[in-house]
Amino acid sequence: MTLTVTSIVLAIGGLSASIYFVIKDYKAKEVLAKREQDVSRRMYELAILKELGDRIGYSLDVQQIIDIIINSLHQFIDYSAVSYMLLGPEKLIFKMHLERSVHQRFVNDIRDRMLGSLSALLDREFNKKDVKEILSGAIIIEELDEPVRSFFNIPLVIDEKVVGVLTVADTKTGLYKEEEMTILYKIIQQASKAVTSLQGVVKSEQAKVNAMVESMADGVVMTDIDYRIMVVNPSARAIIGLPKKESLTIFDFIDNLEGKFDIRGKLEESVKLNKPFKSEEVLIKDKFYRIFVFPVNAAVGGEVEEKNAVGGVVIFHDVTAERAVEQIREQFTSMIVHELRTPLSGINKISELLRSGEPPLTKPEVDNYIKMISVNSTSMLDLVNDILDVAKLEAGKFDVKKEPGDIKKIVDNRLEFFKVSATDAKLTLKVVYDPALPELVPLDESAVKQVLNNLISNALKFTKAGGTVDIFVAKHSTNAKITEEFGKLSGKTSVALPDEKFLSAPESIVVAVSDSGAGINPTSIKELFNKFKQLDNKAEAGVKGTGLGLAIAKGIVEEHGGFIGAVSEIGVGSVFYFVIPLQ
Amino acid sequence: MKKILIIDDDTTFQKTMSDSLASLHYTVASALDGEEGLAKALAEKPDLILLDIKMPKMDGITFLKKLQSGGEDSTKIPVLVTSNISTMDNISEGIALGIKGYIVKSDESLDTIVQHVEELLNPKKGVSGLPSRLIS
Repeated sequence: MTLTVTSIVLAIGGLSASIYFVIKDYKAKEVLAKREQDVSRRMYELAILKELGDRIGYSLDVQQIIDIIINSLHQFIDYSAVSYMLLGPEKLIFKMHLERSVHQRFVNDIRDRMLGSLSALLDREFNKKDVKEILSGAIIIEELDEPVRSFFNIPLVIDEKVVGVLTVADTKTGLYKEEEMTILYKIIQQASKAVTSLQGVVKSEQAKVNAMVESMADGVVMTDIDYRIMVVNPSARAIIGLPKKESLTIFDFIDNLEGKFDIRGKLEESVKLNKPFKSEEVLIKDKFYRIFVFPVNAAVGGEVEEKNAVGGVVIFHDVTAERAVEQIREQFTSMIVHELRTPLSGINKISELLRSGEPPLTKPEVDNYIKMISVNSTSMLDLVNDILDVAKLEAGKFDVKKEPGDIKKIVDNRLEFFKVSATDAKLTLKVVYDPALPELVPLDESAVKQVLNNLISNALKFTKAGGTVDIFVAKHSTNAKITEEFGKLSGKTSVALPDEKFLSAPESIVVAVSDSGAGINPTSIKELFNKFKQLDNKAEAGVKGTGLGLAIAKGIVEEHGGFIGAVSEIGVGSVFYFVIPLQ
Repeated sequence: MKKILIIDDDTTFQKTMSDSLASLHYTVASALDGEEGLAKALAEKPDLILLDIKMPKMDGITFLKKLQSGGEDSTKIPVLVTSNISTMDNISEGIALGIKGYIVKSDESLDTIVQHVEELLNPKKGVSGLPSRLIS
């Protein structure tokens, strides 16, 4: 029992962490479904466990233990009858085991004496009506009219609380001397101790389970068979918006769910059919939930085989995040489809036109169409390459081969490459080098070129004519402030680099591409490097692109063991930087 | 001579379409986004508008809404949506806004699109055998 509780506690602890990671990974839809099943199963186990825990009250356990004691007591003490009276859930359980036959009056006498002492011990009035009587052992014989002549009463104390009394009695006189009494006391004391510590374990495990239910992000509600609310965790209260009163009824739930989910009907169905139920996505307030309903069965009287419905449990699992991920994915897919279809359909239509010869075209017109085919196919090829790069990065198959390379040479080469388009766009493009740069840096030349291509072409695209794009390449030393290091350079980035990002950075090379463009608002910056996000202003600027470039750049830089980032100020400009460690 | 306005940011579609239509003696005007399109639609009162959905500045659906609120004359201009987006949402929204037809550009040949245009502009000619996506 104890073992099971602990293992489930641990299992569920790990579960919440894994759910987080699963949600993060958009590809893990199937895994998600499986996890959901797992959650279902574990919650089901948890519910049973909770119910069992609650049911291990005094009566069942103590009664079993006392039964064991009285069965072996005869070896130590002589008596006509041994009996116990315990506080049961509804009645007092009075059980008497007869070693020898006695008269009914003997039984009644003991019962009344025990009732008396229990009343005195608990300061409560008990009478015959409260008693459930069980007799075992020898039979009642009316002819043997012997009264109770010896009698000894021991209170049963568990966890410092009186739970009943134990009595030995005999028709013979003067039986119970100090020695017998001591033995009996000792046995009872040992038993009490054992039960107390056992219950301590159960209680602490139960407390763990309860604490866990309390702290769960999922809303958990448990009811008994008559829909009385047994457990409501804080999440469930928050999700459903329940009133802040102590005792909730099922009607509080029905009212607050406003017909969005038939909690009572589903509980009834689930318990009746003994089958779990899983809802579609339900919108409660501004979030989406999947609602699970499970029947709760408890083993009766220790018989595990015999299942008995004791209630139900309802779990509200927030799927808003999963939904959002799913939506972003769909948007992304339709964007890709659109971006691939448009140039392909364009090429297709040009070829149709050229082939039909209708309308007749002049040589310059044909040349113009061929140029269009080239532009369209290039844009498709770029997109396909980007998609393949993203796929490679995701599969961890994007090979970055670090070799000592001359960063100055690489940047100069890119500067030369972009000079024409910068001049065309009436932009100033220049580079500033830190004199302290090492000659060789461990990097993958073609991959770093790809990152530079992306950052420079973005900067050129988003900066209006007359603006400037500056590339800074500097060495960063451990524990040094990047703003101070950049302050020594002959030039300034449009926005200062963030010192806090570089605090824990190792000795490295920092490349920053600074522009005097329109700037990006802070909420968008966070999403820039997300492969599913494309900024709206891209469309406004009339610039083609899928937004995958930055995601790829991020992947490449991280493969180098570095990091990438951006700072921006509306109306001032943006600075995109990446860091490549020297070690 | 009937005038057709093509509102589409896809320059290849603009070029192929206007070359084809011009050879059939239509006057063709073009706009590269919804905003420019709306201005041209209101100023030039074309006989037909070919409208893309996904466009910068103003998308096709917004264009339709603005066109509807642009006075009686502008609501009478028939609109044929030519887009690469084929989700039901867009189609039904377009229908609700009174479009005459919906063509998925990449699903149809240039010739078929031209035929649809001709059918819309000259209904009495009764162009036959078209897999009609046009809404009567």
